[in-house]
Amino acid sequence: MASSRTQKEIRQRAPLWLVMLLFANLIVMAIDAQENFTQQSVFKGGIQAVASPMQSATSWVSGTVGGFFRQLGNFGSTASENERLTRELAATQLELRKSQAAMAENERLRELINLKEKTGYDQVAGRVIARDASVWFNTVTISRGSSSGIALNMPVVTPGGIVGRVIAVSPWTAQVMLITDEKAAAGAIIGKLGESGALGSVRGLGNSGLVEMRYVSGLQKVSTGDYIMTTGQDGIYPPGLNVGEVVQVTQGTATQPHQIYIKPSARLDQLAEVAVLMYRPPPRPAPEQALPNVDKTKVAGRE
Amino acid sequence: MPQFKTAAVLAIAIILQLSLREAWRPLSYIDFPLVVVVYIALQREAWQALIVGTIAGLAIDAPSGGLLGAGGFSKTLTAYLIYFTATRINLENALLRIPVLAAATLIDGAIYFFWQRSLGNPPSAPFVQTVSYSLIGTTTVGTFALYMLDSIVSEKVSLRRQFASRRRVARRGAHTLKRR
Repeated sequence: MASSRTQKEIRQRAPLWLVMLLFANLIVMAIDAQENFTQQSVFKGGIQAVASPMQSATSWVSGTVGGFFRQLGNFGSTASENERLTRELAATQLELRKSQAAMAENERLRELINLKEKTGYDQVAGRVIARDASVWFNTVTISRGSSSGIALNMPVVTPGGIVGRVIAVSPWTAQVMLITDEKAAAGAIIGKLGESGALGSVRGLGNSGLVEMRYVSGLQKVSTGDYIMTTGQDGIYPPGLNVGEVVQVTQGTATQPHQIYIKPSARLDQLAEVAVLMYRPPPRPAPEQALPNVDKTKVAGRE
Repeated sequence: MPQFKTAAVLAIAIILQLSLREAWRPLSYIDFPLVVVVYIALQREAWQALIVGTIAGLAIDAPSGGLLGAGGFSKTLTAYLIYFTATRINLENALLRIPVLAAATLIDGAIYFFWQRSLGNPPSAPFVQTVSYSLIGTTTVGTFALYMLDSIVSEKVSLRRQFASRRRVARRGAHTLKRR
């Protein structure tokens, strides 16, 4: 009897709990949306700081499990051989893989160090510890945060090219929006800055893994295989960084821009180590000072 | 003890969701935490289903580029809708769970997308394509996962199995007695 009463109570109170939980989620959403708008990531950064040890652990587990299954695959191919030989072979392969992985990691890290000489900017190297768990966004979480000097909107690169920009920072982690995300964009040029007039902006195309270059005049010569560099006009990426290579062009006309698709040169699906450039864009003149018709004396007097 | 089992299953689902994408990207279309939420809601555990929905959603939102709380909202509401249906219609049949999982995926995806768009953070993935893949992945894998959860978590199912075997033994006994 007592049990049935409890069940009845639970059933009666369920809508109240539902409303309370939905309201709590709604408040969290509203705060996060407000932070997105004001470019402050205090709340989400805090949550990520709490979640970062779990993300690192998950990343380690997935790496280990993936390695285990890869090893199982290797065992399958040598199943017909002698058991002792198979074990020896597997051990050797494991050692070989470990040393190959270490060598590859060394190579990547060396490239990252060389990147500083190439770009001329200070940088912080970090590991990718998590990928976006939902299917809706293209972000990754890296193992460095504000304690390493990382701030919002800093560009993230690999030796191959640009990866994206920082969109949220916690003390020990940072969230990076990949350049393939539909909301990501960068000022770009086909060829070298100063040598080409094919200016435009690149924008992500979501899950296709490509980016699109827009607003390039149809009068400019563009062909497959051309390389794209950043111009620095977006106020996020410094000029002269590699974006990618043109893989498809629908030629435009005098009145219609080209439709250009680019494959990013950074291998975004296999990101392991990245570098955050400590780049601060040069300050832009305030709109009031830039407008030609503004009475400068008035503006100065008000200040 | 059931709460401990539920927490363990939820933790495994979240870890799977966070790590499988790194192994192979299409695996991220399988929403493991949603399967756990649906399972608990089908057990008619209102409080547990709502809490698990919120925790699962927030855990997936934290490392995501989306708004924090959108996943929590969608999974909590989905949990309640399934709980509400399960208290009025008998959904114990294994076959009925397939449309329930499909409906849960659709509702969860639609609510999540709605909030992200409404609050100025539209997802980069196209809605119809993403929900379709998610529907296929979650329903297919979720059907087997629910069956597994039945054998691991549910005490009701193990009790039912015990009674079934006892009934079978009792029936056999009666049959042999009739023969004699």
